[in-house]
Amino acid sequence: MGPPGLFPMLRYVLIKFATLVLLLILVSLTVFAVLFVLPGDPAQIILGIHATPESLARLRAELGLDRPFFTQYADWVGNLLLGRSALSIHYKMPVFELVASRLAVTGPLALLAMLFAVAFAVPLGIYAARHQNRPQDLAVMAFTQVGLATPEFWLGILLVLLFSVELNWFAAGGFPGWAADPLGSLKALLLPAFALGIIRAAILARLTRSSMLDVLREDYIRTARAKGLRERTVIYVHALRNALIPVLTILGLQLGQLLAGAIIIENVFFLPGLGRLVFTAIGMRDLPVVRDVVLLMAAAVVFVNFLVDLAYAAVDPRIELH
Amino acid sequence: MKRLVAIACVLVLVSAFPAPAAEPPKRGGSLIVCVGDEPPGLDPTASASAAIDRVVYSNLFEGLVKVDRHGKLVPGLAHGWEVSPDAKTYTFRLRQGVRFHNGEPFNAQVARWNLERGAAEGTKNAHPEFFRQIATIETPDDFTLRLTLKEVNALFLFQMAEGDSVMLPMKGWEDTASRPIGTGPFRFIEWRRGDSVVLERNPNYWNPALPYLDRLTYRFIKDPSAQVAALKAGDVDVLGWILAPEIARGIARDKRFKVLSGSSTSEVIMSTNNKAKPFDNKLVRQAMAHAIDRKTVNELVMLGYGTPIGSHWPPITPYYVDLTKKFPYDPKKAKELLAQAGYPNGFAARIQLPAIYPYAQKAGEVIADMLGRVGIRLKIEIVEWGFWLDRIFKQKDFELSMIGHAEAWDIGIYANPNYYFQYDSAEFRDAYQKALRAETEAEKAKWFARCQEIVAEDAVNGFLFVSPSLSAMKAEVMNWWKDYPTIALDATEVWWNK
Repeated sequence: MGPPGLFPMLRYVLIKFATLVLLLILVSLTVFAVLFVLPGDPAQIILGIHATPESLARLRAELGLDRPFFTQYADWVGNLLLGRSALSIHYKMPVFELVASRLAVTGPLALLAMLFAVAFAVPLGIYAARHQNRPQDLAVMAFTQVGLATPEFWLGILLVLLFSVELNWFAAGGFPGWAADPLGSLKALLLPAFALGIIRAAILARLTRSSMLDVLREDYIRTARAKGLRERTVIYVHALRNALIPVLTILGLQLGQLLAGAIIIENVFFLPGLGRLVFTAIGMRDLPVVRDVVLLMAAAVVFVNFLVDLAYAAVDPRIELH
Repeated sequence: MKRLVAIACVLVLVSAFPAPAAEPPKRGGSLIVCVGDEPPGLDPTASASAAIDRVVYSNLFEGLVKVDRHGKLVPGLAHGWEVSPDAKTYTFRLRQGVRFHNGEPFNAQVARWNLERGAAEGTKNAHPEFFRQIATIETPDDFTLRLTLKEVNALFLFQMAEGDSVMLPMKGWEDTASRPIGTGPFRFIEWRRGDSVVLERNPNYWNPALPYLDRLTYRFIKDPSAQVAALKAGDVDVLGWILAPEIARGIARDKRFKVLSGSSTSEVIMSTNNKAKPFDNKLVRQAMAHAIDRKTVNELVMLGYGTPIGSHWPPITPYYVDLTKKFPYDPKKAKELLAQAGYPNGFAARIQLPAIYPYAQKAGEVIADMLGRVGIRLKIEIVEWGFWLDRIFKQKDFELSMIGHAEAWDIGIYANPNYYFQYDSAEFRDAYQKALRAETEAEKAKWFARCQEIVAEDAVNGFLFVSPSLSAMKAEVMNWWKDYPTIALDATEVWWNK
């Protein structure tokens, strides 16, 4: 319990913020240390197995890989704080530019996936809750069980086989670029976003259902029904708003999983997104890219958690730091 | 039986298409070629990465000489050359009127500058030794280049035909990795990171008849099933380098496409640490050679598309000797040799397979089974590529592994006792030196053959097969290279028949 007299809310926010900063420092150290001890020499991977020892040593020096751990770490964090971008070893361009161009794919992809998830999960969850323990409910539950057990990449491949190879409605993958073809770009994201979103929808539908069932047992719902309101109004106006709070929270917390899913799905659809970037970069030991992207992804998850904490505090003033 | 029928179908399908010369090529069109690996930069003179050559070699950049689709040396920026009787001096006659894509002219001065750049202290070239063997460079006139080598080198012309030896312009070469400027039939338009490299027809190419295509795009798709989907959905026109042969068979059944199956220079070997016990014992290595049924390995791993080998030399490279009969499949003999070596009950060992190459994993499993039958119990470990390069290739901390050695003319690695399989043979080094210093064709053939024999006799590594050069494309794509005698996906003479 915080000492009385201080602004408990402000104190809460400050402490949460300090935790966030500390977490990011720890993440950056971990990322850096892991990459530092990871076997695999970027110079060797770039130059191939036929390179001479001389050319390897020169490239290593050029990349700064021959310097001590803390010099390299300080260099990295220092440049990040100053907003100076390192150069990608593989792509020969500033990492920040690279990340920005990839975010333009993964950002909308994640957003679309979320939209798909919510669009399927909420109606299904409500439907199941309204028909609790009846065949309709069981059907929805069975469907979500299948969804939970389906790997994203497999669903992605199935979608490609059906909609691209057989029906020819969509390209099998790739991304034309927002500037060159905005509509085509949106279309290119539909299948992968659907594959990502529908899997999330399975989890969210179950959550919506149980949350809805909890809310429907509350006194105020009984009161609403007793007032003679139509069931439709009770569900969609009174119950839904409260039932959705835990659903949206989980949706926010699923960002991390969504980013992990993007790594897989971007490979299936060969989208030039952040997930594929980090996947290739790890394989190629493009350390400047791996560091920055992993830190960015971690920061995104930590930050969303921070926002969720704040939202909780705003919604329920009783929440305090223990 | 089913397999044979399928292979026969492929062969019929392939042979059903007319020879390139039968029909006059048509001009125009845009071709999208899918390749698995995105290159680390686009400068072949600053990296030995095969992914770079597969995009730029002979498309964007050219050297003095080139390797053609049959593995022969053909004129590149030099339209002819003479070799002195002592085989040390090469006089190249350079093409006139050649311009780089930025308008700069190509001449003997530019060639000289390129060769000196490759040899310079602190050069970024992965093969400075190609250039440091040159003692003097003379340029009697603008279009004559005379090089005198310090020592005779039978491979010199082939080295000048490698991607490491292409010609860059003296102005604007600094950004080659991201904005390449060459003399090739195609010029650079755009590298969309993570997606594709786009090239377009060079209207000022020194051979006005070429290229046929207006636009050439290399698109990077790693996942094999995504590659097939992209081909079938029409997002790409060619799968340039198929690593998983199962894919080829499926595509060959579809009439809209054709599959070309030729030979490459990538020898897939079970690399063996010749310094690690018990593999330091030649009898053990020979026993393993007898225990491996190469034909079955090729059937199971490559669906029969590969070519079994008995030494470290691709059948499409000159001076090849067939040594596949040297250690015929004979498990009984293998057990005898093992007993002779002091392992009557066999032994246990570890084989580490790089995860990025599906063929390596499959071959590892097949080999583990075959060696198991003679008492060599292999524990399979799948390792990531960076780990492979570090622990196995660099630190030589391994017993057995599995990898394709892609470069042509690379038997010289057996002359280096510090190379990762740590083979140390004075006899081989002597034969290799003699081959390199050979002044006549007959001498070259004799000593390169001897090199192959020594390596086979010592069973340095498990020689399995040469990877097929498998490509798949729309039926209307004409004149794609069937064999890949060098690391390149050259589309100079490719055209659309539609």
